[in-house]
Amino acid sequence: MAAFFQQVVSGLASGSIYGALALSIVLIHRATGVINFAQGEMATFSTYIAWTLVTHHGFSYWPAFVVALVVSFLGGVGIHEAVIRPVERGPRIRVVIVTIGLLLVLNGLVTWIWSGEVRAVQSPFPARTIDVGGVAISWQDIGTIAVCLLSVLVLGAFFRCTKTGLAMRAAATNPAEARLVGVRVSRMLAVGWGLAAALGAVAGMLTAPSVFLSPNMMLTVLIYAFAAAVLGGIDSPVGAVVGGLLLGVGLNLLGTYVDFVGSDLGLPAALLVILVVLLVRPAGLFGKPRVRKV
Amino acid sequence: MALIAALAFSVTAAVAGTVRSGTEPGVAVDSIVLGGTAPLTGAASRYAAVARGAWAYFQYANNRGGVYGRKIHYRYVDDGDNPAITVTATRQLIQQDKVFAIFNSPGTATNLAVRGELNGGKVPQLFVASGATTWGRDYGQYPYTSGFQPTYQAEGWVYGKYLARTASGSRVAVLFENDDYGKDLLGGLKRGLERSRVKVIAAEAYEVTSTDVASQIAKLRASGADTLVLFATPTFAIQAYQAANRIGWKPKHVVTNAAAAASASMQAASFGGRNRLVNGTISIQFLRDPTDLRSRKDPATGLYRRIMKQYAPGANADDPLYVYGMAAAWTAVEALKKAGKDLTRASLVAALDTFTAMGNPFLLPGIVVKTAGKDHDPIEQMLLRRWQNGSWKAFGGLWAYPAS
Repeated sequence: MAAFFQQVVSGLASGSIYGALALSIVLIHRATGVINFAQGEMATFSTYIAWTLVTHHGFSYWPAFVVALVVSFLGGVGIHEAVIRPVERGPRIRVVIVTIGLLLVLNGLVTWIWSGEVRAVQSPFPARTIDVGGVAISWQDIGTIAVCLLSVLVLGAFFRCTKTGLAMRAAATNPAEARLVGVRVSRMLAVGWGLAAALGAVAGMLTAPSVFLSPNMMLTVLIYAFAAAVLGGIDSPVGAVVGGLLLGVGLNLLGTYVDFVGSDLGLPAALLVILVVLLVRPAGLFGKPRVRKV
Repeated sequence: MALIAALAFSVTAAVAGTVRSGTEPGVAVDSIVLGGTAPLTGAASRYAAVARGAWAYFQYANNRGGVYGRKIHYRYVDDGDNPAITVTATRQLIQQDKVFAIFNSPGTATNLAVRGELNGGKVPQLFVASGATTWGRDYGQYPYTSGFQPTYQAEGWVYGKYLARTASGSRVAVLFENDDYGKDLLGGLKRGLERSRVKVIAAEAYEVTSTDVASQIAKLRASGADTLVLFATPTFAIQAYQAANRIGWKPKHVVTNAAAAASASMQAASFGGRNRLVNGTISIQFLRDPTDLRSRKDPATGLYRRIMKQYAPGANADDPLYVYGMAAAWTAVEALKKAGKDLTRASLVAALDTFTAMGNPFLLPGIVVKTAGKDHDPIEQMLLRRWQNGSWKAFGGLWAYPAS
């Protein structure tokens, strides 16, 4: 039984990583209406910035964390201004294609600047584990889940209770009318990119202590994160985190107890989740189905 | 810095490429042109050091007269570790740059992709930088191809023999990469454990596309094993240490394959000593370790440092992959010398058919590069080493993999 729960716990740990990145995918989708394929590479880039500050410039963890968040926010805004804004008017597919290009560029850039070597990243949480009935739970995992849930609360409050948050939602759902009521749509979209980049930085820094920092750290995590976001409902922050946790636990148990799945079929299983959710419940577990009034 | 070096060398190589002798491609009165592919970009780009190290050694050898007055021009081009690009890049090296031989290209899949064509065209595929078993085993079918480093099977065998001798009664759990690389190591380990009281009781595979290996490690622990063997690439080996430590697993012995065990990876895994599991890890070694404190005063290490300083300034000389490249380049010079003044592709292959080179300053003392008869695995000797308090320490005598 301990072995079963150990798999559940390690699934929650991987799931919290998927959830953290899924959260930033959901944020950018809510704030700008597009799916950002470069989200994972942006997170990796931010994590490298934090790592450089700690390793080469004598920063301690939290100041480096804050600096990385600020730099990422500015970077996100910069990316929006430089490459997204010129293609924003017109079919959404153009933006999506540009984000795929961004993925490639950022991945190459990271390898070029920091080389492909694997780096250890300090964790903000204690390295100890708690033992519950023979099942070891690490503080790192508990911390990751806690930070994810905290981000959900903060995001929820931001989108519901602040003027900027409401304006961002308006700009994403109906840019034309938002403009009419005085929302500066373009600026809102830029802020959305900035926030998503900052949240991605959080995801990267939570992920790196577990999977270690390398240029491809987020490449497959991104696919699981998409599955998590779709499972939870692409518009729902709570859904992203819950979807991530469900996916992490589900894949671990499948791999352990269903022989032919093993570890080989993890990615196909994630794809299957995406497919089934889109067919059976397109709005996901927590999303609101879109009703179109005619 | 590295980029500048790469640009500079491609200019010299291009000039050299135009000077050709009438008979053998890539051989002129005063030059030999070697070609190769390497992942200069992409995820595997750290292996570019294998090519850069070799390039640096050739510069050094050229300044000391080259081979029978011929300077070696080694032109390596990017393949991003993508076999499809290896094929076109290799073709270009042969058809346009008229290289004499393909030398020292890293990767198993990349080299397999061009092996048929190179052998068909009778172009030597010299010292493939991969430990796959096939290079030496299939010499009969592909005589123009030669491996270099100990095979993954030989490496696994040494771990098996070591555990059989020193850890009788142990129950072994193995994490391995689900491809030829991981499976060759695992196969070798099992062969080394044959007829011993040590059993492999659990083996879990991971895919290169996996995000982490925590689930596999939890399963291996649940098997009740007391020995953990990691046959993985650096990222996953480091993750495995982390995962095992997190669930509080304290296996008595830990073995990590050499490719994952560069000092930098071990330091990353040990987290400044906070992960005790890393201490005492066993691995093999056949190259001189530039980070070994005891070899600081040794003349061979001094030579290595001098060459690095002069021909690869700015590169991380602690990276053993540069040593690897120099070891291969040193051996290539010996092979070219043995092939004679009237150098041809056929004379090089004939020279390698029965070949012995002793005293390679970049290999551990006593290791002989040797092929003869049916045995075409050039390096089959290695030392065991133990990770202790932040560095590797070799122990015991040389282990030699028996010719099969």
